[in-house]
Amino acid sequence: MKDISRDLTRRLLSDRKLTQLIVVALVVFLGFSILVPDLFLTPRNFISMAFQIPEIALLALGVMLAMLTAGIDLSVVSMSNLAALSTAYLLVTQVTEGGGNVYVWIVIAIAIGILVGLISGLANGAIIAGIGVTPILATLATLTLYNGIAVGIRNGQSIIGLPPEFTAIGNGSFLGIPIPMIILLVAGVGVALYINKTGLGMQSVLVGANQEAATYSAIGVRKVLLMTYTLSGGLSALAGLIIASRSASANPDYGASYVLLAIVIVVLGGVNPYGGFGTVTGVILATAVLQMVASGFNALRFSQFFYQLAQGFVLIAVMILNTYVDKRRLKAKKDKAPQES
Amino acid sequence: MSYITPLEKRKGLKLWGSPNEIFLIVAIVVLSLIIGLNNSVFFSIATPFDLLRSSLIEILFALGLLIVLISGGIDISFPIIGIFAGYTTVVVMLGLGLDTYSLWIPLVLAAIIGAALGTINALLIAGFGLPTLIATLGTAGMFRGFLLSYIGSVYIANIPLGLDQFSTADLLSVETGQGTLARLHVLVIPILILAIAIAWLLRRTMFGRTVFALGGSEESARRMGMNVRWTKARIYMLVGAISGVAGILYVSLQRKADPYDLYGTELEIIAAVVLGGASIMGGYGTVTGTILGVLLINLIKDNLILLGIPGSWQRAAIGLMLLIGVVGQAISDKRRAKQATVIEEDAS
Amino acid sequence: MFGTEGISKAFGGAKALSNVSFQVSPGDIHCLAGENGSGKSTLIKIMSGVETPDKGTIILGDERLTSLTPRDAVAKGVQVIFQDFSLIPNLTVAENIALSTAVLEKKKLINPSKNREIAARALELIGVDLDLDATVRSIPVSSKQLVAIARAMTQGVKLLFMDEATTALTRKEIDHLFGVVRNLRDQGVATVFVSHKLDEVQEIAESITILRNGEVTAEGPIENFDRKAIAEAMTGQEVSEVRLTPELPGDAPTVLEVEALSSTGRFKNVSFSVKAGEILGITGLLGSGRSEIAEALFGMAPIESGTVTVNGRAVKLSGPRDAVEAGIGYVPQDRLSQGLFLNQSIRKNVMASAIERFLGRGGFVKGKDISETVSNWISDLKIKTDNPENAATSLSGGNQQRVVLAKWLAMSPSVLILNGPTVGVDIGSKKEILEIIRDKALEGMAVVIVSDDIPEIVQIAHRVVVVHQGKLGAELSEADISESRLYEELAA
Repeated sequence: MKDISRDLTRRLLSDRKLTQLIVVALVVFLGFSILVPDLFLTPRNFISMAFQIPEIALLALGVMLAMLTAGIDLSVVSMSNLAALSTAYLLVTQVTEGGGNVYVWIVIAIAIGILVGLISGLANGAIIAGIGVTPILATLATLTLYNGIAVGIRNGQSIIGLPPEFTAIGNGSFLGIPIPMIILLVAGVGVALYINKTGLGMQSVLVGANQEAATYSAIGVRKVLLMTYTLSGGLSALAGLIIASRSASANPDYGASYVLLAIVIVVLGGVNPYGGFGTVTGVILATAVLQMVASGFNALRFSQFFYQLAQGFVLIAVMILNTYVDKRRLKAKKDKAPQES
Repeated sequence: MSYITPLEKRKGLKLWGSPNEIFLIVAIVVLSLIIGLNNSVFFSIATPFDLLRSSLIEILFALGLLIVLISGGIDISFPIIGIFAGYTTVVVMLGLGLDTYSLWIPLVLAAIIGAALGTINALLIAGFGLPTLIATLGTAGMFRGFLLSYIGSVYIANIPLGLDQFSTADLLSVETGQGTLARLHVLVIPILILAIAIAWLLRRTMFGRTVFALGGSEESARRMGMNVRWTKARIYMLVGAISGVAGILYVSLQRKADPYDLYGTELEIIAAVVLGGASIMGGYGTVTGTILGVLLINLIKDNLILLGIPGSWQRAAIGLMLLIGVVGQAISDKRRAKQATVIEEDAS
Repeated sequence: MFGTEGISKAFGGAKALSNVSFQVSPGDIHCLAGENGSGKSTLIKIMSGVETPDKGTIILGDERLTSLTPRDAVAKGVQVIFQDFSLIPNLTVAENIALSTAVLEKKKLINPSKNREIAARALELIGVDLDLDATVRSIPVSSKQLVAIARAMTQGVKLLFMDEATTALTRKEIDHLFGVVRNLRDQGVATVFVSHKLDEVQEIAESITILRNGEVTAEGPIENFDRKAIAEAMTGQEVSEVRLTPELPGDAPTVLEVEALSSTGRFKNVSFSVKAGEILGITGLLGSGRSEIAEALFGMAPIESGTVTVNGRAVKLSGPRDAVEAGIGYVPQDRLSQGLFLNQSIRKNVMASAIERFLGRGGFVKGKDISETVSNWISDLKIKTDNPENAATSLSGGNQQRVVLAKWLAMSPSVLILNGPTVGVDIGSKKEILEIIRDKALEGMAVVIVSDDIPEIVQIAHRVVVVHQGKLGAELSEADISESRLYEELAA
């Protein structure tokens, strides 16, 4: 364990993008604290943010895993809604008022929800790794299909009236920390361990860095991709369950604008869309930054659409910045020798 | 001295079309028969007329997207550009008191707004070299955010007279057996002309050939001396303008300006263009195929009910079709790649 | 008259060309010979305006220039046909040939019949008949090459460079190409063939310039050179003839046995065996099939018939994972795109293949063990770096190759196949890398080195087999291995 934490801290401080992000976070925090201290700088606000961050961060982590392999997963929101619907359906139909088996069914329902997420993620992986469709198109298609299934099976209706024992999870706290946040932290540690300490996780970084070299290094690229997208499905399911628990309902069209948000977070968090680089810390921190922006905007009475505008702007600004930094680094390298003549 | 015989031959003017287009025509015919046999209401003149009416605007959007896809990129901001241009045009016209019968004013205004937004895309993609998916994802967010924050989030029912009138501008109206009126909208003609114009643009102008070249091999195009950057910029400006026009026409046909409209429709249009034979990798695609793709998707979408499938399954149907389209493409691409190596071995 | 005078060019600290002068007249068919790393690509880039020389002049007709832009070069009649042809696969033959003219004339509209006219005329000039409406993607490689030549014709080419033009061609296609080149000569075009293939060079060229390590080592009319002389001038005598190969114990077991291996279009009926501790050299000219054999043994090229046996067990090689499981490792030819993860740390590169062997409890990787192993390899192979977390791009070519070597040695393969292990590596590193290979062989590993670097093979190999057009030719053992003998066999 000590070895892991030492590794982590070393990596955190040496990553320039991460330190830049920390600076941004501080600036945003201070900015809003100065502008609207009575609304922003309250414990209530921070607790509220702590409840809202996990669901989006989990979705972003799913996208990050895909991006590490130089791919992308646009279907995270659809998978999350599908999982939420499955769980909600079970809960609403099987749990009777005050019946003693509530908790059993909750466990089963959660398990089913996660299973739905894993299977839909696996399907993504099969289409991408097995058939060879590029991730953009594959996940565009599955996002539509999964969303369509969710809408179709419920005829467009949400499922409401989830049992209080279930909603207690999403709205409750343990030792003062919101339970969703605990779930996020556990999941975050899990993903970080996966990327840095497991065979498939480390291989997925290499696959994203250079897929040809990965093949030539006898890495099972197909296996890696399957696992990547399956995990993304699992994380999306977790997000969906938290959403369902917090709002006591499951909606097939929830969070349509979350896809943009997830990608902004991932890019801001220092993940390279071309593959090979990304940290869990960066993603969670970026989620926090964007949540602060959302809450700050809210306090300043900006509309949610302005928030969307800001998201688009941040995404583009960060991409342009990255392009320039990379270009300068490449130029410095070009002045050294090309290998063959 | 000829001994080299190539595999594939592509004739200049196709009268019967590529295998993909034939497949689409067959699919449309077969599906029509199935739907019609299930519910004979389908076999009325109203059906093709309604199909065309619901497809026309999409065809316009799809043609714009086609150009982007052929060049090897992707654009998901075009429906937002459309509604932005459409809504803003109405707002501006009403604000300036231009409640006129003229169609030209809104069309030109929307085209200009669309082109301006497209220029932003052009700047990011051609200027800064950002990847097309992420760039247009970002601009879609920005445009929509801007529209709803600063231009208006209110539904406008009283659109300028010309636009309102245009929605009922029918070329033909025929009484059907059921006593209703089957209407063929006049828009069929300009869109047909535009489709032919775009096909000509793609095939007969340097711009069009450069678009194809970009999709085939950007590096080779550059080495041939083609102006890659400027062409890319023009693509996105053109698509912006086309989307703007499509947007204002949508507003007209809907007889309302609702800034929340069109959001999310990019998926359906991408599905149509991909089914129509355009490859996401770039370098391939036809106007005919795109139109057929849109017709097929709308055929299924609009007539699911006649097959006993509730309307809430529409989106799933579209998703399924998109999935079939991309999977089919991936498989045929793989097979073609394998064939290429085999041929060279045969030659030795 | 075309050519250069006293051209020198260096990149960073490394010298690519030193005082290179050569000459070609209109109607000449000239050969520019040299192996990888000789400087011939840099010379071509300088003549086509892609690079500027540090010193010296470029001679184009009446002009003597010290620098050139690519546009100028084309305008003055210089064209290069690279191995990738720079064609646009989804456009037709006619368009690929004629469009560049249209681009130059800044035309806005395309006239298909005019395109066909231009294309047909260009094809006629070089004496070739192709279907103008076929998409370039669908025609065979030899036709693509002809399209590229025809395109050059439409741009008024006066000096045409053809880089390794015959690599992917069959005998029949090569004959055809040579016919076209002779047509070009009759049209007054000067053609420079850049090639390795000595027999072809002899067949088509009228004069030759040979480069080695950025310098001209020989030149003149082709009659003055026999194949052996060309080969010697190309590969040089820099590294000492002292053989590094240690004694091979007589009772060493056979580790790798290859029998009647065939793959259509790549190689046919290949059989050989390698014992533990033995170093087998596989050599042949570029395009002979030597690389394909190596790749097939690693599962990266399909095997249609024949057997491969490792340590007595027959193995099926449908992919690299099968190969690794069988105990085969492979250091690929293209270090940068196949061997390394350039922007990843040295540590990750070294561990890339062996990750699965370092999994401990719960599937977690044993970080400390990895760090130890990585440092061991870094010191063992003398990889020059101050921190294993540095990216692989920070290393020089020689050190990068050691990283790739470390990656495979970390797998303890029974057989290690290396394809061009010292290409683009400086002299000092070269010797050390060969010594590392020798030491590993001493420890009992069977080694196969695929290379066209004759001195290297002579130094290191116990036995050598020569590959010719996909089939094995001579097999030389200990006593017979010498540079002159190998040049003979290569040229045969």
